[in-house]
Amino acid sequence: MKPRPLLGAVFLLSAAGLGYEVALTRILSIAEWHHFAYMIISVALLGFAASGTAIALLGDRVRGREPTLFRAATLLLVIALPGSHALAQAIPFETFELLVRRVQFAWLLLLYGVLAVPFFIISSCILFAFLLERDRVGRVYFANLLGSGLGAAGVIGLLFVAPPGRLPLLLTVLVIAAFLLALAPGAAAGRRVPGGTTARWLAAGLASVLLTAWIGAPTIRVSPYKGLSYAMDLPDAGVLATAHSPLSTLTVVGSSLIRETPGQISGYPMAELGELPEQVGLYFDADAVSPVHRFDGSLEPFAFLDYVTPALPYQLLDRPGTLVIGSGGGTEVLNALYHGASGVTALEVDPNVLPLIEGPLGAHSGGLFARPDVTPVVAEARGWLEAHPDARFDLIQISLLDSFTASAAGVRALSESYLYTRQAVELYLDRLSPGGALAITRWLRTPPRDAIKMFATLVEAAEQKGIRAPARHLAFVRSWNTATLLLTRSPLTGEQVEAIRRWVGARGFDLSWLPGLEESEVNRFMVLEQPVYWEAARRVLADEGSRERFYDRYAFHVRPATDDRPYFFRFFKWASLPRLTDALGGRWTSVVEWGYVVLIATALQALAAALLLVLVPLLAVSRWKRWRAAAEPPDTDEGSWPPATGSVVLYFGLLGLAYLFLEIAFIQKLMLFLSHPVYAIAVVLSAFLVFSGLGSALADRRMGGRGTRGGSGHAGGHAGGHASMAMWGAGRLVGFVVVLIAALVGLYVVLLPYLFSVWSGWGGTARVGLSLALLAPVAFLMGIPFPTGLQIVSDRRLPMVPWAWAVNGAASVIAPPLATLSAVHWGFTTVVGLAVAFYAGAYAVMRGGLQRMDPARGQLAEPVRAVG
Amino acid sequence: MCEEGTRSVRARGEPSPKVIEPAPVRRLTVGLVGAFLWAIGLTSLAHPAVAQNEPYEDVREEMVRRYIASVHPLLEPIDDQEVIEALRAVPRHEFVPRELRDAAYLNQPLPIGHGQTISQPYIVALMTQLLELDPGDRTLEIGTGSGYQAAVLAEIVDSVFTIEIIEPLATSAWARLRRLGYAAVRAKHGDGYFGWPEHGPFDGIVVTAAATHIPPPLVEQLAVGGRMVIPVGPPFRTQQLMLLEKRTDGSVAQRSVAPVAFVPFTRGEPER
Repeated sequence: MKPRPLLGAVFLLSAAGLGYEVALTRILSIAEWHHFAYMIISVALLGFAASGTAIALLGDRVRGREPTLFRAATLLLVIALPGSHALAQAIPFETFELLVRRVQFAWLLLLYGVLAVPFFIISSCILFAFLLERDRVGRVYFANLLGSGLGAAGVIGLLFVAPPGRLPLLLTVLVIAAFLLALAPGAAAGRRVPGGTTARWLAAGLASVLLTAWIGAPTIRVSPYKGLSYAMDLPDAGVLATAHSPLSTLTVVGSSLIRETPGQISGYPMAELGELPEQVGLYFDADAVSPVHRFDGSLEPFAFLDYVTPALPYQLLDRPGTLVIGSGGGTEVLNALYHGASGVTALEVDPNVLPLIEGPLGAHSGGLFARPDVTPVVAEARGWLEAHPDARFDLIQISLLDSFTASAAGVRALSESYLYTRQAVELYLDRLSPGGALAITRWLRTPPRDAIKMFATLVEAAEQKGIRAPARHLAFVRSWNTATLLLTRSPLTGEQVEAIRRWVGARGFDLSWLPGLEESEVNRFMVLEQPVYWEAARRVLADEGSRERFYDRYAFHVRPATDDRPYFFRFFKWASLPRLTDALGGRWTSVVEWGYVVLIATALQALAAALLLVLVPLLAVSRWKRWRAAAEPPDTDEGSWPPATGSVVLYFGLLGLAYLFLEIAFIQKLMLFLSHPVYAIAVVLSAFLVFSGLGSALADRRMGGRGTRGGSGHAGGHAGGHASMAMWGAGRLVGFVVVLIAALVGLYVVLLPYLFSVWSGWGGTARVGLSLALLAPVAFLMGIPFPTGLQIVSDRRLPMVPWAWAVNGAASVIAPPLATLSAVHWGFTTVVGLAVAFYAGAYAVMRGGLQRMDPARGQLAEPVRAVG
Repeated sequence: MCEEGTRSVRARGEPSPKVIEPAPVRRLTVGLVGAFLWAIGLTSLAHPAVAQNEPYEDVREEMVRRYIASVHPLLEPIDDQEVIEALRAVPRHEFVPRELRDAAYLNQPLPIGHGQTISQPYIVALMTQLLELDPGDRTLEIGTGSGYQAAVLAEIVDSVFTIEIIEPLATSAWARLRRLGYAAVRAKHGDGYFGWPEHGPFDGIVVTAAATHIPPPLVEQLAVGGRMVIPVGPPFRTQQLMLLEKRTDGSVAQRSVAPVAFVPFTRGEPER
């Protein structure tokens, strides 16, 4: 086989495409909020589907011109990729203002349109390549998947060194290379390319490159409603340093007016004990702030830390060996040291935090993390704790990891958090010394929900660990904006209970649970209209039946999160909707988490847009009729159900859903094992695409070039149908593959939790290697059905190829929000089950419809054949 | 009226580096801008101002009737006549960005730039009512924003002090308040964390700037029997109002007021 520049160009364009998608996720997470990033990208990806529909509609206008169009589109992309990013930064879209300004919907639509353009062009190029290589679609698909997989991995690597805003420009280099390859002889798959000499194309290319250089990379426009924007509006604010990683972009802001505390400093006698120490703010993705305090070795200025609720555990523990999960700028480390901790282990998942604090902020932070009694560790908590089964701590402290705004608006409603699941709390309990305690602090919200769910999680985890009377192990203290929950390994002693009482009384905090707490003691200082927290705590602790009734009847979802449904931040439940609308009228949305609303919106708009993109040609366009006549000639396909059109929709739609459902399920499963969502996404995305690419290469060897039309000596009249032997081969292949996929994922559902806990102690590289080994066979198999089906369509209904592509693209866009919703409500096992069901459905369509399409008719009178 | 650069005295009497002292040049600019805006104000006076305001008077009346003065089963009622009169008097459309004027009298918050908002009329009314003000009371506002809350306060009490940290907002709010005749409002650009001790103690304090804690100096500057109110929630959604009251013994009582009454427990569920 001679080298195919065309396939090289497809590879590069696909890499640029997926790279751009990953880069956009980061860019939009910084500019807005990450759930909006998914909503916007989801629609932008419909550019893929739209290009399929457009090319299907253009039909014969495209035919024969594919090489020229391929070059022209690639050339256009040189400008369009950085251009769409630059334009998007100029659109004044604000998510929060959607509530109050209708014009924001117009901006949102415009943003969708602008961001969809590069995906539209890339997808068109891939389709042109399919049409050029019509006998070997598997090879094009292979190049496409391989490029996408490596593009995703490459960009995640690039994010360690380059700011996200620069990535679109860097990716343009790939597009330029693809353009040059498209000019190479042979790229046209043996066809003549009209449209000018190579010199002219090169000149145009140069002009585009210059234009792109002029466009450049604009700075990311951060929403004014994010923490970083508020800080930068302070009169003396200045950016001291920035750092990037695939996990987050960190911005260090210096200003004398940054005064962040872990909640209310209740009753702090500032005149007596002094003002707060000087702070600089570490802003994560331009929002959540973690202050770095000025520290000169003296702990005296940190007296204010005894006036916040996270100081609760220190009232009963003497010189505790402390583990701080999410140490950030070090506030909780200082809290532990101020209260006389014998040692502090500080876990921080973001690799950039420590180098910033020790490096550029070294003089300010005063070597806090270099103290002999402080051990900083860059690691995700669960993975690290699993890997250190012998570690024991007197105190495990988790305090306010998200910003107040993010918490209050519920923007994380649908992000997985494996730190707050029941299994996580069980693990924390395992790592406590006999007299040890776990302390978790959350922002409070109105109406109450987070702290109640956390309390319930502690209770259920304690029960799972064999603690007989959790009521005697728990304390619940709140200020007006925070709640700190305490769970101890041993029952609280009378002395400890009194120590808590005294401290709480002196500070003016409220008790919502403490062994022996009297009704007269609750809701005294920060008076709520009803003592909701205390009532909730009592019901959760009462007995199984009372707890279940409480879970069922409380207006929010406060049942503890588990590893199968790790959505601590989801509180909305549909059953409460009538109650919410009854009680609140039109204001009911004000108590629902943004994240949930946005996911529903994402699913609905993807569904609507996809239907529009796929159905419009069916209904409205007269051109369709001609196309349809060519695609589905009368008097054929008897005995086939569904008919050709339906088969194509169902087969490629189901494949899109199945593929994405499994991909998302695996991302979730690996998130815990690989310790961070970004690594999980990188590994799963890349592995899926690359190994599926290999699978499609196999499918190509199996199917491609052999002619599934029934020519090439394979023709054989099959009883009752027109299927050839190759056809039966395709059906059997897909059937075989689907059975294997089902068996493998079934095995994984059962085995993975066990394997992961056994392997959790392995190093990072080893765990990535193990993950790849686990994913490889499944992904390989999943790469086979698509090109197998597409080859049939290519051979028998060539004009339907773009349409099949469009349907598959649309399904891949609808799938993620649907998969997430399924996971939220029914857990990941259900998501996997649904994926297998979709594959089984696709197989049925293959046998019943696709395979029975007339092999001899429906051909276009198309003279040009590939030189193959 | 505008006390630019007023130095706030820190607790330990050190010269404060945190108060933003406008340079003379800036002061001059502010003065010029102010004079210019004042001139515009005069021009609009030259034309019959009433005619200009007329289209909004009806909608304002409608706003007060529908959202403020009417009793709604879900909402804490506004029954303080002074407050109702104040909302009836202040031309809210003057406090919102020009392109949002038509939405000024809807019961919703609106963006005013820099990530700041003007609260919805009902919330402004409720916060003002919770302060239980008498005409002779001294009031302090942290976070001037558009100046609307200050204007509402000025309709009720003689002495209103307001501090804004974001300079463009501060400048435009002063100009607006002056133009609309709220001459009694004393405003400064600077850090509100330390209050305005020279003019304290205050009988009413409104803190609109979000923070992780209530600044202790503000609690200090609250008069005995005085009240402080703080709206809490993400942008465009006030979820609760924090109400602080200084008792005669100097201790502070705190209470949460939900603008929308919603009990998350099922009613009638048996107590255990």
